[in-house]
Amino acid sequence: MEAIEHPPIFRLPGIPDHVTYTWLVMLILAAVAFVASRNIALVPRGAQNFMEVVLEQFNGLIDDVIGPHGRRYLPLIATLGLFILTGNLLSLVPGVAGPTANLNTTAACALVVFFAYHYIGIRTQGLLTYLDHFTGPMAWSWGMLPIKLLMIPIEIVSHLARPLSLTLRLFGNMVGGHILLAIIFFLMGFNGLIGWALSGSVAGAAVGGIGGLIMIAFTVGFLYPLKILVSFLQAFIFVMLTMLYIAGATEHGEHAEHSSEHH
Amino acid sequence: MRRSLMLAAVFVLTVPGFALAQAPAAAAATGSWVGPFGVLVAGFAMAFAAGLCALGQGKAIAAAVDAMARQPGAAARIQTAMIIGLALIESLAIYVLVVAMILLFVQPIKG
Repeated sequence: MEAIEHPPIFRLPGIPDHVTYTWLVMLILAAVAFVASRNIALVPRGAQNFMEVVLEQFNGLIDDVIGPHGRRYLPLIATLGLFILTGNLLSLVPGVAGPTANLNTTAACALVVFFAYHYIGIRTQGLLTYLDHFTGPMAWSWGMLPIKLLMIPIEIVSHLARPLSLTLRLFGNMVGGHILLAIIFFLMGFNGLIGWALSGSVAGAAVGGIGGLIMIAFTVGFLYPLKILVSFLQAFIFVMLTMLYIAGATEHGEHAEHSSEHH
Repeated sequence: MRRSLMLAAVFVLTVPGFALAQAPAAAAATGSWVGPFGVLVAGFAMAFAAGLCALGQGKAIAAAVDAMARQPGAAARIQTAMIIGLALIESLAIYVLVVAMILLFVQPIKG
């Protein structure tokens, strides 16, 4: 992507940019957590109030999707959600690289989810009951045996597609938006319309000036709000799918609904 | 009219091939047509993917809005289901975007 996007302003030598800015996200989240929990009061104020509202939202989502027994997975889910949201929003700051716009970061998050929900499923249901999920929702019988055997490769492929799709969805959304912004900036920058407007020619001042103003209005008024919306939406979707996978791994075989279809 | 449009499209599609055929120095290396056609394929793939993805998402949103208008009480749940469905539909177009970016930036098939 270096062909289009400008590298971030602050770089540590020898360390990839997404690792540097992952550390920045960690610092931000740790600082917020420290400020919010420094002196915990029964009636929350300020940062503590804010974080409690945020975590209440996560708890509400978990209650809706997994059920009340899912609240023990709040640390995993809320950490993923806050990390991805902060990373997405950080990548909108000019001169800063977003950690979630790199395939390695998103793949790491998706692999954590992949191993976590299998572990949760095995721990809550036992190994054999959990492996029974992979043969489909039908009851065991001799007549069903070929179908259940056929379900095993299908289910395995479907489960392997989950981390791939989680990875590529977040990465593709972020990088697609960044390339769009980079191209818009390239078109309106000092080599483009604004440069033409400042070049001194009359046609440049007229066309380039009007075009540059339209581009600036379009970027500030439409593209940036859209990117902020996408940042929240992608973090929400990542968290939502994580919760669906955990719900699918913890619910029992009889009413395993369509949750195995999500991939 | 339509036939002339198709001819124009065929001509546009084959221009890189003609240009390379005119330039034997560039075409001397085997398979050097891969680069320009990779760019073309990336653009057209993204166009098809975006258009069909928009059709699919439009159907999903239409059904969801219809359901929300009939059942305003269930709007929150319908909206959640809609957003998840949209994400799953959209991820297919995102796959194409990733493939297009691989074709453009990584260029695995140099020829």
